[in-house]
Amino acid sequence: MDWEALRISASLAAATALLLTVPGILLARWLAYSQRPWRSLVEAGLTMPLILPPTVLGFYLLSVLGTGAPLGALYQRLFGAPLAFSFTGLLVASLVFNLPFTVMPMQRAFAAIAPELLDAARTCGLSRWRTLWRIELPLAWPGLLTALIMTAAHTLGEFGVVLMVGGNIPGETRTIAISIYDRVQAFELQSAANMSALLLLISLAALVVVSQLSGARRSERGLL
Amino acid sequence: MQVSCGREIRYHAAMKFLGLALTLPQLFQVLPWLMLLACGTANGAEQPNIAAAADLRYALDEVVVAYERASGVTARVTYGSSGNFFSQLQQGAPFDIFMSADEALVQALARQNLTHDAGDLYAIGRIVLFVPQGTPITADKDFTDVRRALADGRLNKFAIANPAHAPYGRAAREVLQAVDLWALLTPRLVLGENVAQAAQFARAGAAQASLLALSLVVAPPFEHAGTYAVIDASLHQPLRQRMVLMRGAGQAATQLYAYLKSPVARAVLRRYGFTLSEQ
Amino acid sequence: MLDVTLIQDLPIPLAARFTCQAGELLALVGPSGAGKSTVLRAIAGLSRVREARVLVNDECWQDSGRGIWRAANARTVGMVFQNYALFPHLNVVDNVAEAVHRLPRLERRARAMQALTTVGLAGLEMRRATQLSGGQMQRVALARALVREPRVLLLDEPFAAVDQMTRERLYEELAVLRTGLKIPVVLVTHSLHEAHLLADRMVVLRHGKTLQEGPPDEVLSRPNSVGVARLVGFANLFESPVVACDTADGQLRVAWGGTELALPVRRFLPPGSVVAWGITAGDVVVVKAARAAGDSAAIALTLERAAALGDSVHLTLRTAVGAERVRAVVTKRFFERAGIEPGGPVVVELPAERMVVF
Repeated sequence: MDWEALRISASLAAATALLLTVPGILLARWLAYSQRPWRSLVEAGLTMPLILPPTVLGFYLLSVLGTGAPLGALYQRLFGAPLAFSFTGLLVASLVFNLPFTVMPMQRAFAAIAPELLDAARTCGLSRWRTLWRIELPLAWPGLLTALIMTAAHTLGEFGVVLMVGGNIPGETRTIAISIYDRVQAFELQSAANMSALLLLISLAALVVVSQLSGARRSERGLL
Repeated sequence: MQVSCGREIRYHAAMKFLGLALTLPQLFQVLPWLMLLACGTANGAEQPNIAAAADLRYALDEVVVAYERASGVTARVTYGSSGNFFSQLQQGAPFDIFMSADEALVQALARQNLTHDAGDLYAIGRIVLFVPQGTPITADKDFTDVRRALADGRLNKFAIANPAHAPYGRAAREVLQAVDLWALLTPRLVLGENVAQAAQFARAGAAQASLLALSLVVAPPFEHAGTYAVIDASLHQPLRQRMVLMRGAGQAATQLYAYLKSPVARAVLRRYGFTLSEQ
Repeated sequence: MLDVTLIQDLPIPLAARFTCQAGELLALVGPSGAGKSTVLRAIAGLSRVREARVLVNDECWQDSGRGIWRAANARTVGMVFQNYALFPHLNVVDNVAEAVHRLPRLERRARAMQALTTVGLAGLEMRRATQLSGGQMQRVALARALVREPRVLLLDEPFAAVDQMTRERLYEELAVLRTGLKIPVVLVTHSLHEAHLLADRMVVLRHGKTLQEGPPDEVLSRPNSVGVARLVGFANLFESPVVACDTADGQLRVAWGGTELALPVRRFLPPGSVVAWGITAGDVVVVKAARAAGDSAAIALTLERAAALGDSVHLTLRTAVGAERVRAVVTKRFFERAGIEPGGPVVVELPAERMVVF
C-alpha cells in the first residue's frame, strides 16, 4: 500500500470537492433557473470534460499550465515554482475536469425545487441569500451531497489527466490511481491489488451513499 | 411521514459533517486554512526527485536504497519513458536529476539551457529477446525460432516499447529491421508505453516474445519468468544512456548525483548489465 | 388603495387597468389563459411587465415610465398560491414565521402563533406542512400571507386545490376573515360563483384585457359586451336586424324568429342595422302551452332536446322560422307536469327587463 499516494489522492479529492462547493452551487443554480439563450452554451462547455478524452483535456491543461504558457509563467513568477507537475497544478486540473461531476447533480437538485416555492419565498420577503440558505439548500441537499461525493470519488479514480498534467512524482503528484499503474509496471502485484481493492471499496461505498440520497430525494418528491 | 422527519435530521447531520453549519463568512475564513492543509504537507526536508528511464527500475531502486542507508536522504524516483520525461521537463516538471536512456534527449535539454551541465554517460544499454516461461519458443539471438514460430502460429503477439518516444522501442525497431522481421511483425506488435510496460506484457504472457532491456530481465522479478538471449549490439544504434543534473537542483540532489557517478553505484549498475563498453 | 396598470404585447398580451380600495375584495375573473395569474404576479413583483404602474397607497412599487422597480421581497405583499407553496421541509409555525424573519426570534414565533390562532390552526403548529389536509394547508398559507401585515393580499385560485365540501367552508371563513382586513384584497378565480359569493367588485379579463369592471351582480346580469356575456354564461346570444328604434319611449323592435321583439334601448340604432342582444337561460320564462294561448308576449317554440341535470332540466328550443335556438331551464317537477316532449310545442316569454342589448 502506497500511503503517500493515498494521502495525496485524499487531499486532492477533499480539496477539489471543498473548493468546488461554493462555485458549483452558484453555477448550478444559475443553470437551473436562468433562461438566457447562452445558458445552453455554458452548459455545453461545462459538460465538455465529460466526453473529451482525458488525454485531450490533459494536453490543453498542460498547454495552459506549462511554464511556456501565460498562466504557468505567471505562477512561476509569483511562486518561483512551476505549476504543471505540482500538487497545485494537479488541483487546478482537477477543478476543471470535475466541474461537470459537481455541477450536473447540483443543477438537477435545484431544478427539482418547485418554482412556486421560490416565488413564495420572495413574497415572504426573503432575500436571495436567505432563500438559498433557508429554502433551496435544505431542499436540494441530497443532490448537493451527491455531487460532492461523486466529485471526490471521481478525483480518486482519475488517471489520464493526472498522468499528463501531474506526471508521476512521488509525494507530489503520484495519486493512488497512478501508483497502481506504477506498481503493476514494477510487478508489485500484491500492492497493486491492495490499492485496487481499496479504490473499489471506496467507489462502492460512494455509490451506496449516493443511491441512498437519491432515495431520500424521491420520497420527498412523493410527499409533495 | 417518518421519511421526511428522518430527512430533516439527516440534513442537519450532513450539514455538520460538511462543516456547513458555519455561516458563510465563517466558511470563507476556514477555506484558505483547509487549502493550506491539503496542499502544504508535501514539502518537508528536501528530497531529490529523479526521473529515470524505465530500464533502470530495479537497478536504480537498489542504488537509492544503498544511498539512503549511507546518507539518510531518501530520493524519490519516477520511472517512465525518456521521451515523456523530456517533454515534461520542457514544461517545467520539478525533477532534479534526469537519467535518460537516450543521450540525445539530455543533449537537447542542455542546449535549451535547462540542465546544470552536459551530464555524464552512465551506461550503454543492451537489448534482449525475451520469451516468457511456458511459451514453446526458443529465445535465440538470431531470431531463428521466432521466424519459425511466426510462420506456424506459435507467435501471436510481440511486445516492444513504443518506438515513438521510448529509446528501447526505437532500438527494438532497428533490430527487427536489421533481421528483416519488422514488416512481418508489425501487425502483431504490442507497444508498451515504456520498456517496463513492454516487459510487463511479456511477463504476463500477453505476448509470446518481446525485445526488452537486459537490465530488466536480470532483475529478481524476472527470475524464473522466462528465458532470454542478448542481441548483438551491432544490430542497433548504441543505447547511450546519459544522466544530468537539472538546472536549479539543490544541495541534496547534487550530492546524490555525485553518488550516482561513484564506483559503488557503478558496481550496482554493472550487476544489472549496465556497462560502459559497447560489447 | 391599489392602482394597477399593465400593458404589454409579449410574451402574454396584457392591457389591464383597475383599482382596488382598502378593505375591498376584487375578483379577477376570466377563462384559463386570460392572464389573471400574470396580473397577480406582476403586482407581487414576480413577473415583469413591459409597461406597468403599480401604486399602493402612497408607495410606488413599479412605474416603468419613471424606471421604478421594487423587488418582490421588498413589496410587502401577502400571497396565497394555488397549491399553497408551503415549504415542505418546515413545520407549520416555521412556515409562518419565515414571513416575519426580520423580527427577533422570539417575537417571530409569537407572531406566527397569533396568526395561526386567527385562522383556527392553534395546536397544529408543530406539524409538518406536508402532513396537513388541503383546507389546513390553505389556512397556513393565509396565515403566512397575513402575518407580515401586508399592504395588499393576493389570492391566486386559493380554492382550486380543495374538494367541494372544504371549499364551501373555506368560503365562509374567508368572508369572516376579510371583514377585519383593512387592505385591498385581489382574488384570482375562474369561478363566477366564487366571485359572486366573495367579491365586492369583479374585473373580467380575456386575453389579458380588462373587459368589464363592476359589482358582481351587475357584471353577471348586465354584461357590457357579447364577450363578457359569453364568459358570464349568457346561453342565449343573438344578432337581429332593427325594425324600429325610438329612444323617446324606450322601444327597440327587432325581427327575430318570424316575429318582432321589443328590447330595451341603450342608444339609437338606425332601422336595418344589426343589434346583438341576449338573455340567460334562467331568465327565459317557460309557460304552459294552454295558459299562453293568445298572449301577445308569448312565443311558440319547438323542443329540440331536454337534458335532465339533477333537479333541473335544460331545454333546447327552436323557432319555427329562422331556426333560432333558445336555451331555457325549468325544474324537473315543472317539466314532468307540463308534459313537454321532444318535437312538441313549448311556449316561452322573454321578459324585456331581463334582455340585455349590447
